[in-house]
Amino acid sequence: MTALGLAGAVVQPVLIVAGAPVLVGVMRQVRARLEGRAGPGIRQPWRDLRKLFGKERIAPRGTSEVFRVAPLVLVATTLVITVVAPFVTVASVLNPVADLFVVVALLAVGAVALALAGLDTGTAFGGMGASREVTILALVEPTLLVAILALSARVGSTNLGDVVSSMVREPSRVISPVSLLAAVALVIATVAENGRIPVDNPSTHLELTMVHEAMVLEYAGPDLALVELASAMRLSVFLGLLANLFVPWGIATTATPAALLAGVLALVLKVGVLGAALAAAEVFLAKLRLFRVPELLAGSFLLSLLAVAASYFLA
Amino acid sequence: MTILLLPLLVPLLGAAGYAVFGWRRATVWLGTASASVMLASSIAIAAGDLPRTASAGLVRVDALSAFMLLVIGAVGLLATAASPAHLRTEIAAGRASTRTAARHSLLVQLFLAAMTLAVTAADLGVLWVAIEATTIVTAFLVGQRRTRAAVEAAWKYVVICSAGIALALMGTIVLNHASVHSGHEAGLDLAGLAAAASGLDPAVTRIAVVLLLLGFGTKAGLAPLHAWLPDAHSQAPAPVSALMSGVLLSVAFYAILRVKVIADVALGTGFTRAVLVVMALASLAIAASLLLGIRDYKRMLAYSSIEHLGLVALGAAIGTPLALAAALLHVAGHGLAKGVLFLGSGRILQATGTSRIDGVRGLLASRPALAGSFGAGVLALIGLPPFSLFASELGIARAGFAAGMGWFTAAAFALVLVIAAALVTRTSRMLLGPPQEPATGSVPMTLVAGLAVCAALGVAIGPLSPLLHDAASLLVVTR
Amino acid sequence: MTETVYVQLLDLTCGALLLTAVLILWRRDLSVIVRVFALQGAALTALVAVLAAHERSGELWVIAAGVLALRAGLLPYLLRRTLAAAGEPQREARPLVNVAASLLAAAVLTFLAHAVSRPLVTLAPSPAAQAIPIAVTVVLIGFFVLVTRRHAVSQVVGFLLMDNGITALGLLTTTGVGLVVEVGVSLDVLLAVLVLQILAVRIRETFGDTDLDDLRELRD
Repeated sequence: MTALGLAGAVVQPVLIVAGAPVLVGVMRQVRARLEGRAGPGIRQPWRDLRKLFGKERIAPRGTSEVFRVAPLVLVATTLVITVVAPFVTVASVLNPVADLFVVVALLAVGAVALALAGLDTGTAFGGMGASREVTILALVEPTLLVAILALSARVGSTNLGDVVSSMVREPSRVISPVSLLAAVALVIATVAENGRIPVDNPSTHLELTMVHEAMVLEYAGPDLALVELASAMRLSVFLGLLANLFVPWGIATTATPAALLAGVLALVLKVGVLGAALAAAEVFLAKLRLFRVPELLAGSFLLSLLAVAASYFLA
Repeated sequence: MTILLLPLLVPLLGAAGYAVFGWRRATVWLGTASASVMLASSIAIAAGDLPRTASAGLVRVDALSAFMLLVIGAVGLLATAASPAHLRTEIAAGRASTRTAARHSLLVQLFLAAMTLAVTAADLGVLWVAIEATTIVTAFLVGQRRTRAAVEAAWKYVVICSAGIALALMGTIVLNHASVHSGHEAGLDLAGLAAAASGLDPAVTRIAVVLLLLGFGTKAGLAPLHAWLPDAHSQAPAPVSALMSGVLLSVAFYAILRVKVIADVALGTGFTRAVLVVMALASLAIAASLLLGIRDYKRMLAYSSIEHLGLVALGAAIGTPLALAAALLHVAGHGLAKGVLFLGSGRILQATGTSRIDGVRGLLASRPALAGSFGAGVLALIGLPPFSLFASELGIARAGFAAGMGWFTAAAFALVLVIAAALVTRTSRMLLGPPQEPATGSVPMTLVAGLAVCAALGVAIGPLSPLLHDAASLLVVTR
Repeated sequence: MTETVYVQLLDLTCGALLLTAVLILWRRDLSVIVRVFALQGAALTALVAVLAAHERSGELWVIAAGVLALRAGLLPYLLRRTLAAAGEPQREARPLVNVAASLLAAAVLTFLAHAVSRPLVTLAPSPAAQAIPIAVTVVLIGFFVLVTRRHAVSQVVGFLLMDNGITALGLLTTTGVGLVVEVGVSLDVLLAVLVLQILAVRIRETFGDTDLDDLRELRD
C-alpha cells in the first residue's frame, strides 16, 4: 500500500462523487446551447439530487428487498471502482482489485442489480427495460473485456494501473492499430452501457424505446437520487477510464501534492472534454431503432476482437 | 519481327480494322481472314523448333503453347467463319444494328488476342492479366442482346469470374513471395519457376497452389465456382459461345497445367492430384445432376462443357504421359465439337426462336442438314468413334486404371454415361418427330468442316503426334 | 525514418485498412460505403508511401501515386457516378446475412486469415510480413461482402475490397511483382469496374432496379 495509492483512494472517490453530477450538468448544458436553448445551468443535477434526498423514502407495493437494495449495490460497486481504478493516480490502494476483470465484473454487478430491481417491480415498463438492458449488457461486457485485454496484452498484465503506466512510459503506443481499434470499440461500449444516444435516450420517459429510464421508472425520493447519482458516476468512470487508457498524460505517478493536483486537473479536463464531445455528437445523432442496436454492438465487439488479434499478431 | 508475335498481332490489327471501318461489306470477312492467318502462323510455329522466346523473354512458346495456339486458331477460324452469317441474320431480324455487329467483331478479335497472349506469356503475372482481360472483353459479348436474361448472365459472369480470378492473383502473389525467398532469380517466369520449384517453401507454395487452382478453375468452369458458366454460355451469341466453351475454358485450364508442373516439383504429385480429382469429380457430378432435368438446349451444351473440363482435369490429375496427352487431345476434340454444336444451336435458335428443348420438334425433317450436323456433334460429344473424343476418353480411362486410380476413373465414367444418356434423349427429342414446318436450309459448311477435322483427329493424330508427345512430356514430373 | 517509427506507421496504416473494411461491412448507406472505400484507398496509398520511404524506392513512389489516383480517386468516382445515376439514396436493404451476423463472421474470418497466413509470415519474418494477415483479412471480408450483398454497387465494392487486400498483400510480401504486371493488374481492375458500371446501368434499364434480387431469370 503506497502513499500514492492512499492519496488516490481518498482523492478519486471525492472528486468523482462531487464531479459526476456536474459532468451531467455540463453535458446537458452543451446540448441545450447547441440546440439553441438557454439551459438550466451546470449545477442543476446537484439541485435535483438535493431535492430528492430531502424527500421521504417510498417503495411501490409488492416490491421486495431487491428493489430497496439495488440502488445501494449500484452506488457501492461504482464507489469501489472509483477508489481502486487509475483515475488520478496510477497506483491503487488495493492492487488486485484494480484488475481489468474485477472492474468489468463490478460494473456488471451494478447493472444486473438494477435490472433485477426493474423486474422486481412487476410492471410492464420495468420488465421491458430490464430485458433490454440485459441484452445490451450481454454484448457490451465482452466488448469491454476484450478491448481492454487488447491493450493489456502488450503490457503482460491485466492490472489497469500497469496498463496506464506503461502507456505513460511509452507514449508512442497510443498511435497503433491496437489502440485505434480498441478505442473505437470502447467508445461504442461506453455509449451503450451508459444509455446515451444512439443506443438509448437519457432524457425521455415517454417512448417505448427507452431502456434505462424504463427500468428505474418506479424509483422515487432518495432511492431515485441514489440511482441518478450512480448513473452519473458510472458515466464519469467510463469516460475517465477511456481517457486514461488512450490519453494517459497528466496522471499522477508520484505522491507529491503538485502531481496530485495536476492529476486532478488533467482528469477534470479530459473527462470534461470527452463529455462535451459526447453531448455535441448526440445533438447530431438520431436514436437507433432497438433492433439495430445489436448490430452496433456486434460491430464494436468485432473491433475489439480485431484489436486483440492485432496486438498478438503485429507485435 | 519474329513469327511468334504474329498470332498476337494479327487479331489486334483485325480489331483496329473493325474500330476504324466498322461493319461494312469489305470488313465482313476480315475476322475470318485474321483467324486463318492466326491458324496458319500457329501451324508454322508448331512445325518449327520449340521452345522459342521473343520480346525480351516476355513471350515464350513451347510445345504446350504451340498446341494451345493450334486449338485457338482452329476453333477461332470455325467461329469467325460462322460469324458473318450469324450477324447478318441478327441484323435482318432487327435484333442487332451494324454498330452492334462492328462491336461484336472487334471484341471477338480482342478476345482471340487475349487468349493468344495467355498461352504465349512466359510470366505467370502476364498470364493472369491476359485471362482477366478475356473476362472483360467477353462481358459485353455475353450481354450483347440486352434482354433481361442476357444482362443478368453478363453480370454474374463478370462478378464471379473476376472474384475467382482475384483468388488466382492472390495465389500468384503468394507464389512470387515463395519464389523471391527461394534463393533463385526466377521471379514469376514459368519455365524458371518450374526449374527452381524444388527450392520453394512447401507450406507457402501449398497456399499459392490452392488459390491458383481455385482461381483459374473458376474460369475453366470447374466446381465449386462454376455457377456463371451455364448462364454466360447460353446467353452469349452463338459464335462467342463457341469460342468461350471451346477454347476459353481450355485456356484457363492451360494455366492450371502450368501451375501443376510447378506444384508437382515443389510439393510432390499427390497434392495437386488430390485437389484436381476432387474438382473433377465434383464438376462431373454437378453436370450430371443438372443435365438430368435440363430444359434448354444451349444450357445443355454449357453443362456438357463443365463435364468435359472435368474429364480434362481428371486426365491432368492422373498425370501420366498417356493421360496428359489424352487430356490435351480431349481439349482439341472438345473445342471443335462444342464449337460446332454451339454454332449449330445458334442457327436452330435463329430458325425456331426458342432455346427450349420442347420448343423444337422434328428438326431432322424440316432442316436435315443442320439437324444432321447437330446430331453428329452430339454423338461426337458423348465420345462415339470415329470422333477424337472417343480416343481421348479411352486414353484417359486406360491411364487412370493403369495409374491405380481405378475407383475415381470408374466413378467419373459412370457419370459420363449418365450425361451421355441425358444428352442423347434430349437431342433425339429435338431432332426426331414430325416436322413443324416445311423442309428448308442449306448445308452448313463450317459445321461439317469442324466435324470432319474432329473425326480426322480421332482416326489419326498424324502430324500432331510429336507435338502432343512433347507437350505431355513437358507436364510430366518425375520425382 | 527510424525503424520503430516505420513499424508504427506501417501498423497504423494496416489498422486503417482493416477498420475501413469492417466499416464497409457495417454500414448500409451506399454513399457512405463508397466514401469509406475511398478512405481505404487513401490508407492503402499511405501504406505504399510508408514502404517507399523506408526502402527509398522510386518505383514504390510511382506505385503509390498510381494507387492514390486509381483507388482513392477514379474508382470511388465511378462508383459515385453509378449511385448518382440511380437517383434516390440507395441502401443495402436486405443483405443475405444480416449485419450483426456478418460482423461476427468477420471476426471468424480474421482468425481464419491469421491461421492461413502463418506460413507466409514465418517464411521471411519482417515488420511488413507481420502485417500480411491483415491484408488477407481484407481479402476475405471483401469476398464475404461480394457473396452476401445483393446490391450491384455493394458487390462491386466487395470485389474492389478483395483487390485492395491483394494489392496490400503483394506490397507487404515483396516489393511487388514487377511493373508490367502491376500496371496490367490495375488496368484490368479499372476495366472490370467500368464494365460492371455499364452493366449496372443496363440492369437498371431492363429490371428497373439495381437490387440483384430480381436477377432470377436464369436457373435450372
